[in-house]
Amino acid sequence: MELKTKKHPVKTERKFNLQHALEEAERCLLCHDAPCSKGCPAGTDPGKFIRQLRFRNIKGAIRTVRKNNVLGGICAEVCPTCKLCVERCSRTGIDRPIMINQIQSFLTNHQHDIKFSVFDKDDAPESKKKVAVIGSGPSGLACAAQLALSGHEAVIFEKNEKPGGVLTYGIPYIRLNAETLANDIKEVTSLGVKIKCGSKITGKNAINDLLKKGYDAVFVACGLSQSNILKINGSELAGNFTWSDFLEMSNDPKLRAKAAKLVAGKNVAVIGGGSVAIDAAVSAKKLGAVKVYVISLEGLDELPADSEEIELAHKSNIIFKPQSRVTNIKGDGKKITGIDGVETEWIKKGGPLAPANARDVKGCEFSLKIDALIHAIGSRVEDSALETLKGAGVKTGDGNRTLVDGTYRTSVKGVFAGGDMIASGRKLNTVAAAVYDGKTAAMAIHNFLTSTKKGGIK
Amino acid sequence: MATKNKKVDLSVKFCGVNFENPFMLSSSPVSDCYEMCKNAFNAGWGGVVYKTLNLEKRFKVVMPSPRLNALHYDGKRVIGLQNVEQITDRTIKENLKDIKRLKKEFPNKVLVSSIMGYSDEDWTELAALSEEAGADMIELNYSCPQMAREGAGHKVGQSYDLMTEFTRAVKKGTKLPVMAKMTPNITDMVPAAMAAKAGGADAISAINTVKAITAVDVNLLTPLPNVSGTSSISGFSGAAVKPIALRFMAELAKDKNLKLPISGMGGITTWIDAVEFMLLGAGTLQVTTSIMRYGQRIVEDLKEGMLDYMIEKGFRSVSEMVGKALPTVVDPGKLPHQKQAFSVIDKDKCVGCGQCYISCMDGAHQAISLDKNRKAEVDEKKCVGCLMCYHVCPVDGAVTYKYDKFNFKTH
Repeated sequence: MELKTKKHPVKTERKFNLQHALEEAERCLLCHDAPCSKGCPAGTDPGKFIRQLRFRNIKGAIRTVRKNNVLGGICAEVCPTCKLCVERCSRTGIDRPIMINQIQSFLTNHQHDIKFSVFDKDDAPESKKKVAVIGSGPSGLACAAQLALSGHEAVIFEKNEKPGGVLTYGIPYIRLNAETLANDIKEVTSLGVKIKCGSKITGKNAINDLLKKGYDAVFVACGLSQSNILKINGSELAGNFTWSDFLEMSNDPKLRAKAAKLVAGKNVAVIGGGSVAIDAAVSAKKLGAVKVYVISLEGLDELPADSEEIELAHKSNIIFKPQSRVTNIKGDGKKITGIDGVETEWIKKGGPLAPANARDVKGCEFSLKIDALIHAIGSRVEDSALETLKGAGVKTGDGNRTLVDGTYRTSVKGVFAGGDMIASGRKLNTVAAAVYDGKTAAMAIHNFLTSTKKGGIK
Repeated sequence: MATKNKKVDLSVKFCGVNFENPFMLSSSPVSDCYEMCKNAFNAGWGGVVYKTLNLEKRFKVVMPSPRLNALHYDGKRVIGLQNVEQITDRTIKENLKDIKRLKKEFPNKVLVSSIMGYSDEDWTELAALSEEAGADMIELNYSCPQMAREGAGHKVGQSYDLMTEFTRAVKKGTKLPVMAKMTPNITDMVPAAMAAKAGGADAISAINTVKAITAVDVNLLTPLPNVSGTSSISGFSGAAVKPIALRFMAELAKDKNLKLPISGMGGITTWIDAVEFMLLGAGTLQVTTSIMRYGQRIVEDLKEGMLDYMIEKGFRSVSEMVGKALPTVVDPGKLPHQKQAFSVIDKDKCVGCGQCYISCMDGAHQAISLDKNRKAEVDEKKCVGCLMCYHVCPVDGAVTYKYDKFNFKTH
């Protein structure tokens, strides 16, 4: 536990300099077969980079972070480490865990400060193969970077005007430093990766066209950019937003004023308990909302959001209504005026954290005066993207998630997919997992491009 | 490893022997047998100095238990390590078999055979056996500070005539390059090294452990390690002895008559320590205590860190670094006095702990005061630029110093 005083609310919000990073590295027990290194969805090896830092092998430590994860700076800031590497830290058995994310952040920032380039582009043999990557989110970026390192030409097509996908449009600016994002994207482009912004790959023949137009393979990583709306009475009224609509606006410095207009001086409720729900709630509060509620089926200790984010929400005076659901949205015919809800309990304790396992608790109904309702109950593949995928013959499964095999091949030859949009069976979708998908898929694409046997999953 | 300049590597030639990198295990528990040396080679160490061989027909080695005590300081564990370990307790037959096997399996790694005899004949015989087993070099253990047999170990290293005589005996038994390992438990190492040279030593290795008592158990009224109610003054090693080792590096390397290559050791833990030893004259490096503490894996950081340093500084080979700092080491009387410094404290960075104030008040020149916000201020007129404040300040970059020309200050 951190000591919290009024003067220094949360110490971890301060960035580490070399001295702090070394001091923290010296707290590390340098475990044999380090448990932290087994906790990263991107396969990062904190046990190694902390040891390298501890022995003053600072450039080596930077290499370890960056070579494994080209977006190591971003992940250090947004990763729910308390559920991953940090959770496994052996030091917890003595006092408190090592601040692995802070050390990693230091390393990637320090790399930038000392202008140290980890990758040597000249090392890669030129293959003359070309790969189209759809989407410049974490998976697309990681895939393109790995392809470039294997000597292939990678071109990313991004529908939005700025690269980054969920990193730019989804994660709030208060959680991910714009400079970190820019530096990591630069890390990718410095390898020769081209990012074509404002070019949406859409239409039934779009993927086949890419394959015909000289691309030897396609990697689809368009994420889950369309968010779901809770379909109940009143969800058509003005004042209902999806988390993505709201965060897209609040993240863009140009559109931030518009986002503020929607929530400033008003009461806001967010439905959902994941990272994006908390992000939306904190952003709304930051933009001047009066009362902000987070209404989730999960209990406080069951929220999928990271404990650091929840901490930040508590400090921002977000009001949690755990184990509750919204039953009715009230309006004046045009816009929202309030919501009705009820507290719930799990039918089977320890069962699935899903609506089917929840029942209302009689007598615990509530009503709130609400002017804006943000729906953060999950997202799906954008409708037009789904059409494009289906047009190419790519098979999808539950929730329209794209089906891939262990090497990220889709049902169509030469078409690979990764990131949040695939049917991965993962409990927690993280940036790190998307990076892992992209990187691993790139290796599979490399094998596909350089081997004679070709094919898709049956 | 991404390196701009592909030509730079860590290879080094020492006494005519090629090392892929200068990092060796020193003769100690870490180089006790085939298995440990094999693992070290696989981990990336350039060489090993095998645990000192013994002719057991003369003297049977039995180890005391417990044989170690560590120095912990300020929450930091094992900054130094005391041991009453002896030379090998394995048979000469077993050890020679292991040396042979190691050289067969790792022909490109360097194996140095460390030996200790008790008469001229012993030394000659051990040298010949080592060469026959395939060793690349021989190290003469003139420096173990806790040999249970009289007239051996550091007792030899303190007796110049014996060292000359034994080195001669060794040279009779082998054509391999021979390095004499020095004890620091001596006022001046140069005459001792000269004595080994007179006997034909090709190189010097230094330092062996420093004689010490790390702690006394105040309840049992016995120093540690407590071996059935008794304890001994014995060898102390690790990070805590590095300053002493660096002193001997500089003295050996600066001597105009000695002019022998040096294999340096004494507390090397990070690549920075390693570079320091080289800049003060070491041509190869040996490590034990930090391997005992952190494992063989640290060689990765020693190598990667040193290589990055070399590229950054433009050194094209390890040998280019050797002795580079020596010209700047002068007698205290020759330090220039034209410039005097004073401390400058950055109030924005100062956290108001007052540690500099206490140190300056009670240990220096009463030049620091704290303002109403507890931020430290320096009185330039009183400050003599000793920099004690800089050394105690916990905030990186809060204390710097400026030169004040031709302004002598006395107190």
